[in-house]
Amino acid sequence: MVNLEDLKKETKKILEEERVKYIIGYKRGSNGLMPVPAFIKNPEDVEKLIWDPACVYNLSRFLVDEKRRKAKEKKPDERAVGLIVKGCDSRALNVLLQEKFINRDDVYIIGVSCENTGIVDEKKLAKKLKGKKILKIEYSEKDNFVTTTEDGKTEISAQGILAERCLECRAGFPVIYDVFLGEKAKRKLDNPCKSLENIENLSGEERWAFWKEQFDKCIRCYACRSICPMCYCEECVVDTINYAVATDTTAEEKAQRIKWIEKSPVASENIVYHLVRAIHLAGRCIDCGECERVCPLDIPIRLLNKKLEKEARELFGYEAGLDPDQVSLISSFKDEDPDDFII
Amino acid sequence: MKRTGVFICRCGINIAGTVDVEKVAKELYKHTGVVHSEDYIYMCSDPGQNLIVEAIKEKKLDSVIIACCSPTLHETTFRNAAKSAGLNPFQCEIANIREQCSWVHKDMEKATEKSIKITRSAVERVRRNESLEPISIPVTRKALVIGGGISGIQSALDLANSGFEVILVERSPSIGGHMIQLSETFPTLDCSQCILTPKMVEASKHPKINLMTYSEVQEISGYVGNFKVKILKKPTYVDPDKCTLCDECTRVCPVVVPNEFDIGLTGRRAIYIPFPQSIPATYTLDIKACPGLLPIACGKCEDVCEPNAIDFDMKPEIIEEEVGTIIAATGYDLYEKELMSEYGYGKYPDVLDGLQFERLCSASGPTMGKILRPSDHKEPKEVVFVQCVGSRDPELHCAYCSKICCMYTAKHAMLFKHHVHDGQAYIFYIDIRSGGKGYEEFVQRAVEEDGVLYLRGKVSKIFGDKGKLKVWGVDTLSGKDIEIDADMVVLAMATRPSKGAEELAKKLKIAIDKDGFLSEAHPKLRPVESVTSGMFLAGAAQAPKDIPEAVAQASGAAAKAITILSQERLYHAPTVAMVNVNLCTGCEMCVHVCPYDALSLKDGKVEVNEVLCEGCGTCSATCLRAAIQIKNLTPLQVHEMIKACLGG
Amino acid sequence: MAEEFEPKIVAFLCKWCSSAGSDLAGVTRMEYPSNVVPITVMCSGSVSPLYIFSAFNKGADGVLVSGCHPGDCHYIKGNFYTRRRITMVKKLLEYIGLEPQRFQMSWVSAAEGTKYTQIIKDFVKELKPLGPQTKLRRNP
Repeated sequence: MVNLEDLKKETKKILEEERVKYIIGYKRGSNGLMPVPAFIKNPEDVEKLIWDPACVYNLSRFLVDEKRRKAKEKKPDERAVGLIVKGCDSRALNVLLQEKFINRDDVYIIGVSCENTGIVDEKKLAKKLKGKKILKIEYSEKDNFVTTTEDGKTEISAQGILAERCLECRAGFPVIYDVFLGEKAKRKLDNPCKSLENIENLSGEERWAFWKEQFDKCIRCYACRSICPMCYCEECVVDTINYAVATDTTAEEKAQRIKWIEKSPVASENIVYHLVRAIHLAGRCIDCGECERVCPLDIPIRLLNKKLEKEARELFGYEAGLDPDQVSLISSFKDEDPDDFII
Repeated sequence: MKRTGVFICRCGINIAGTVDVEKVAKELYKHTGVVHSEDYIYMCSDPGQNLIVEAIKEKKLDSVIIACCSPTLHETTFRNAAKSAGLNPFQCEIANIREQCSWVHKDMEKATEKSIKITRSAVERVRRNESLEPISIPVTRKALVIGGGISGIQSALDLANSGFEVILVERSPSIGGHMIQLSETFPTLDCSQCILTPKMVEASKHPKINLMTYSEVQEISGYVGNFKVKILKKPTYVDPDKCTLCDECTRVCPVVVPNEFDIGLTGRRAIYIPFPQSIPATYTLDIKACPGLLPIACGKCEDVCEPNAIDFDMKPEIIEEEVGTIIAATGYDLYEKELMSEYGYGKYPDVLDGLQFERLCSASGPTMGKILRPSDHKEPKEVVFVQCVGSRDPELHCAYCSKICCMYTAKHAMLFKHHVHDGQAYIFYIDIRSGGKGYEEFVQRAVEEDGVLYLRGKVSKIFGDKGKLKVWGVDTLSGKDIEIDADMVVLAMATRPSKGAEELAKKLKIAIDKDGFLSEAHPKLRPVESVTSGMFLAGAAQAPKDIPEAVAQASGAAAKAITILSQERLYHAPTVAMVNVNLCTGCEMCVHVCPYDALSLKDGKVEVNEVLCEGCGTCSATCLRAAIQIKNLTPLQVHEMIKACLGG
Repeated sequence: MAEEFEPKIVAFLCKWCSSAGSDLAGVTRMEYPSNVVPITVMCSGSVSPLYIFSAFNKGADGVLVSGCHPGDCHYIKGNFYTRRRITMVKKLLEYIGLEPQRFQMSWVSAAEGTKYTQIIKDFVKELKPLGPQTKLRRNP
C-alpha cells in the first residue's frame, strides 16, 4: 500500500532540497469526492496531498503546459518538475520522452502503485451508491475500496466500480520513476482488450450503426484533445480555429491552411476528426482513458484508441509507453510485417 | 492568383480518338485561375511547343499544364519549352491523359470526363507550385574503390588513367582478390597470375592511385560529390619500406595457422607474406595468431630482422579522406562449408571446394602444380566434380544460379585430365550453362578431347569408404542410381557475397538484395549504379560473375564515376522536403523513416539536408503535424488534387 | 431504367512502380473502367492517412493506395512504412464500419500493367453493388 505519509515525506524532501521547482499531485477539491490537481511549491503544503482511488487525472498533461510556459520565460527556472504518476501516467511520460517532447531531467517522477486495483469510475460509483453523497473513497488491503458516505464507512468490491481502463490494465504501477511507493503487482488478464469484444463481434453495418450514433453526438468541444497528453501539437492538423500564428506567420501561410474537415459538428466531419485523432494516437496512446472520461457526451473514445493499440500489439508486437528509447510504431517496420490484405 | 495556361495534346488520334479534347479545353477554361486553354495535334512538335511559348508570353502565363502523355516521356521537353519562354521549369506540370486515360478507355464521354478531372487536378497542383532552382553541389574529384580484386583494380586503373585520384582500399594484406588464387582461366586456359600481376603492379605504381591494403572502410558520411570516408589502416607491424623480403622472420616464427591463400591446404606463420607476388610486397604480422607483441612473449621475428623492419609499436590509424564517388567491388566468397555436411566437406580432406582445387592445379600451389590428394599425397585417378552445390536450391540453400561454376568445373575436369592423363573426371550437373564467347566450345572440348563424363543428376551423399570417397547419385537421364568410388571430390560451391559486405552496404547505404548481393539501381538500365547517388557497383559484389563480366562492369562503374568526377558541380532536383519550424516538435519520427539520412535534429527542430533528400515524402506522411512537406507536392496540393479528382 | 452506379475512385500511385505500371497498361492498350482518377505521388510512403480520410470525406466511393513491391521501393524502404501505416488505417476504417472493399492497397510494379488493369476492374466490380459511400462523405 502507498503510505500517504511516505508520499508526503518524499515530496517534502525534494522540495526542501530544492531539486524541483514544484510538485504536481492531487489534493482534495472543494466539491465532494473528486480530487483536483495540486501544484505545490512550499514544503509545508505537502500536507494537502492525497492519494486515493479517485485520483483519476493523468497529471503528465501538465508537462505540456509547463514546457510551453517555460519556453516563454526569459530566465526560466531550469529545475525539474515533480510529478506524481500512476502506471498509465508513467507510460504517457515515456511516450513524451520517446518523442523528445520532454527531457528526462525536466521531470522528477514520483511513482505510485494502483494497489492492484485501480482508479474508480465516478459514474459507476454514483450508480452503485444510488445517489448517496460520497465523501471519501480509499484503498483497502483486500482489493476493495472503502467508501465514506453520510451513513458511515462501507467496504465494497473494487471490480464493479473500477474505471474501464483499469480493468484492462496489465501493469498498475509506473514503468519509469525516480521514487516508487507501493507494490508492483503484474496482472494476468485473459483478454486485455475485453471491452472491444462487443463491438468486434458486430457485423460491419452494426458497427457502423454503433459508431454513427456515437459520432452524431459529438459537439467537437475538443475536451478529448485538451486532456490528452499526446495531443501536444502546436496546431492540430484538423483544426482551422486554433491556428498557431507566430510572429513570422505570413498572410500567405495563413491562406495555405488546409481545411481537412469543416468546423461544423456534423457526423461526417466528426467522424473524420475522430479517425484522424485515433490514427495519430496509434502506437502512442497509453490508455489513460482521460479522453473518454472528460467527454461530455459519453462517447467511448477509448474504444477507438484501444482497437489500434490491440492491432499494433498483435500485428507488429508494438506497445506504447514501455520504453522511451524504442522507435515509434509508424517510424519503424519489420520485413515480415503482415500484408495479407494487400493485393 | 496565378495565371495558368492549359495545353491539351491530341497526339494525333492517340488522345483525340477517345477524348473530346475540345471539350476538355473548354471545361478547363472555366476552371479557377485558368486564363488560357487550347488543344493541338502534337504538343511535343516544334509548332506545338511554340504555341506554349507564345501563349506564355502573350497571356503572361505564370504556370502551364500540358495534358498529354506520361510525364516520363515529355516532362523535360515541356519544362524546357516553358523555360525558354522565361518561366521557371517547375511551373510546368504534366497531366497524363494518354497512358492513364485515352489508351485504356473506349467510352468517349467517360474518358473525356476523366481527362477533365486529371487536368483539373494538375491545375490545382501547379497553381501552388513554387519556382525552384536546382540544388548545386560541388564535386570532390577523387574516387574511393572498395575491394582490391580484379574488379576493384580495373575500376581504379580506369579512373586513374582518366586523370582522377583514386583511393583503393583492400582489407587483406595484398590486392589480387580471388583471381590471384586461380590456376588457369576459362575458356583460354591462360594463367591467372600471369595476366593479373601486371595489373596489380600497375595499380600499385600508378601515381594517381593511393593503395591502402590491410585497411577497412569504417565510416562513410556525406553525399554524392562530397563523401567523407574514415578508413581504418590496420597495423602490419612491418615497415614495407625497410622490409627486404629476406623471409628470415617466417623461419623463426613458432606459430602455424591455416593459410587463407591456399584455403587451408597449407599453413602459414603468424608473420607472413600472403603469396610471393603480393602487392605490396611486404610481410604482415597477424596479430590474432601472434603469441604477443612484447619481446617477452616471443619477439623472435624482431630479433632476426636485419633491416629492423618490424615495429611492435605500430598502431591502427584512422585516415580521413574526402571523395566524390565510391565504387564497391567487394567480391564474393564461397558458400559456408558447414552448410554442406551431406557432401562431407570439412569431414574428408579429399572433398575440396573449387578454390582449393585451383590451388592444387596452380604451379605455385601447395603441390607445385601436381594434383595430389591432401589426405595421402597420392595422385587421384577418379575425380568427381559436383556442380550447383548450394546453388539453385531454394528450399535448403541459395535459389540463384552461381553462374561461374559450369565453366570452372569444365575447366577443372580438363585441367585434371591434363595433369593425370589416365584419370577419369565425372561431373554431376543439373544443366550446363555455357553462354559466353567460346564457352560452349570449351565445354564440348572437355567432353570430346578430355573424355569428361557428364552425369545429369544430383549427388545425394558422399562418404568415406576404405580409403575412397563413395559418391551416391542418380543419373536422371537414364534413371539409374550411380555409385562412384572416387579418389577426390570437388564441390562447385555457390558463390556468396563476401563476408562483411552486408555490414559495408549498411555503411554505404546501398541496398542489398534477398541474397545479400549489392542491389543495382535498375536491373537492366542501371546495372552498375546503386540507388544511392554517387555509389557504383563492380564485380561479383553485385551478383555472381566471371572475370570478363567483372572487368566489364568495373570499367562501366569507372565510366559512371567519371560522369560525376568530370563535373565541376552537380545539380540535384529541388523538390525536396522543407520544415515548418513553427509546427515541428522535434519528435524525430521523420528522422527515423528517412531512407537517406537527410534529416537531423538541430536545436529541437528537424533540418533537411537538401542534397541528400530525394523527395520521397515518407517523412511528410509520418509527421503528425504536417510540419514537414515536399516542395511542390505539399499536403495542401494533394488536398486540392483530391477535390479536383472527385469533381468537386 | 436508372443509370448504373459508377463509383468514384481515387488512386494514389507511386511514381516509380504503380504509376509506371499503369502507364504500361496504357502502352499495351489494355482496357479498364474509367472510374479511377490517379494521383501520382513520389512514393507510397508519402500517402498520409489524412489523404485517405479526406478522399472519402470528399466523396470517394473507393480509395486505392498502390506502391512498389516490398523490397523494390525506389526509395529503398518507403513502402515498408506505408504498409504499417496503411494497415492501421485499414483496421480503423473497418472497425468503424466502413465496408472493407472501399479501401484497398496493392503492390504493382512497373511491369505489372496487367495486374493494375485487373485490380481496377475488380475494384469497380466490388464497389458497384455497395452503392455510394455516404458514411464519411460530407453533406451526402
